[in-house]
Amino acid sequence: MTPRVLFPLLFAAVAGLFMLSLLIGPAGFGVGESLNALISGRGEAVTLVMREIRLPRAILAVMVGVSLGLSGAALQGYLRNPLAEPGLIGVSGSAALGAVIALQTGFAAGFALALPLAALVGALIAVFMILLLSGPRGGSLTLILAGIAISALAGALTSLALNLSPNPFAVSETVFWMLGSLADRSFTHVWIALPLMLAGWALLAGIGRGLDALTLGEDAAAALGIRLDRLRLQLVVGVAASVGAATAVAGAIGFVGLVVPHLLRPLVGARPGLLLPASALGGAAMVLLADIAVRLILPDRDLKLGVVMAIVGAPLFLHLIYKTRRALP
Amino acid sequence: MTLLSLADLTVHRGPCPVVDRASFSMAAGELVGLIGPNGAGKTTLMRAVLGLMPYSGTTSLADIPVKDRARQAAWLPQQRDIAWPVSVETLVMLGRVPHLAAGQRPGDRDRAAVADALAVMGLTGFEARAATALSGGEQARVVIARALAQDTPLILADEPIAGLDPGHQIATMEAFSALAASGKGLLVSLHDLGLAARHCTRLILLHQGRIHADGPPAEVLTAENLAQVFGISAHLAQTADGMIFQPLRVLR
Repeated sequence: MTPRVLFPLLFAAVAGLFMLSLLIGPAGFGVGESLNALISGRGEAVTLVMREIRLPRAILAVMVGVSLGLSGAALQGYLRNPLAEPGLIGVSGSAALGAVIALQTGFAAGFALALPLAALVGALIAVFMILLLSGPRGGSLTLILAGIAISALAGALTSLALNLSPNPFAVSETVFWMLGSLADRSFTHVWIALPLMLAGWALLAGIGRGLDALTLGEDAAAALGIRLDRLRLQLVVGVAASVGAATAVAGAIGFVGLVVPHLLRPLVGARPGLLLPASALGGAAMVLLADIAVRLILPDRDLKLGVVMAIVGAPLFLHLIYKTRRALP
Repeated sequence: MTLLSLADLTVHRGPCPVVDRASFSMAAGELVGLIGPNGAGKTTLMRAVLGLMPYSGTTSLADIPVKDRARQAAWLPQQRDIAWPVSVETLVMLGRVPHLAAGQRPGDRDRAAVADALAVMGLTGFEARAATALSGGEQARVVIARALAQDTPLILADEPIAGLDPGHQIATMEAFSALAASGKGLLVSLHDLGLAARHCTRLILLHQGRIHADGPPAEVLTAENLAQVFGISAHLAQTADGMIFQPLRVLR
């Protein structure tokens, strides 16, 4: 499929799912009524639901989806490995750790950006450690092992933070938050996540050509004039900012960065640079879709988005391992 | 015109020098074969020349800013692993990256350079095939085409013909000769001394990191040099068909 066909299709999918996300919910308003309230503000209850509940939720779904899809595609391109994913290799887990520490210590209440910044620091440490341990030579085994180790460490430290927490209510709240969800979010969440995410997206948007050149390996890319040190820095900070901000507002949502690039790679001729914008849009569509699904499957049980994504994504991960196992060193 | 010059180029791995005070220069029109046993320092020398690893001494290439260097010299590493199933045309088009400004799309000139490079390597008709689905030898030719598409005055290639069938080995060496004749300079590491003797205008023999001999093939491939460096004896004859080189036996 040529980009000229693919990108309008992806845009249409995101726009369509965004509208659906606005129109679906337990309140059960009519389509005309809902849109009228959203735009003109007529009808007090409907306007409140549309503007304060559904609109921020749909906007956050797009933001989180773009962040996770883009980060997955960028990590895979740099590590030359289709198994790289921010959730699987511990970046989301470390971001969650940062956020949990901020919540439990009260640092998060200090100022508006404290929570996403704490998550960013957690994510930064994880991405940096992953690159240090596995590097861009495409070794699947090192990458997965490094990811397991970092996930385990982040998980253990998160458990420790919860373990030592003086407040049982805060613990259960944090555990539910970590499952990953977009329910009951407000525009405050949009505004605290957006600056970091925009910075992350801008950094990741600039590495497409470098990732293309890395198809031939580090040496060839360097000799093609790609500044690998700068590319690595852009990747680390870009992924950490995107995933950190996404985790801070939505909890840990895994597998988006795995499933989306995997589905879209054949449609962009496997070009890592072109896969970046495609995965950003695809990620937005996927998170919107999953967030609509959690509202339709169990409307009265508050099914968590992160749980649904994992149930969809984990079998695909197994399939990918099965497919690439011969390539594993 | 001098395309490359290095002076006292030294690369250390730990305390021991892998490349030891190498000095030579290359002019346009030369096809230089870099020969030597395994571990002689061929790859290290070429990577240091390009500024891809730390070195002491001087190389004329490493002083140029990265982006300009990529328009001056193309590098074909020994590793030919292609990470993604991109099309052959996409892969060869990567050679045009140094010629494109940020965000600029490839134009007619770039497409023409890619088509030329594919034609030289006998890959016309392979444009839409997935590069990873090709055979090892075909992949080797695709990555050579990528280096040719970069259209640089200087090309450095690390064992480019390893893994090719005899026909494609000769065709590749002839393509390199033609490029040299057209005014480019090529530094190519080789293990096939027969092909090196026939096609290169000059050979540089590396031994334990030092340049042991440097000159026309007949002056470098002497019985004494071969015995000292490779530990072999060989038959070397100047015939109506060009130079014939055949290794005979191990001297030990």
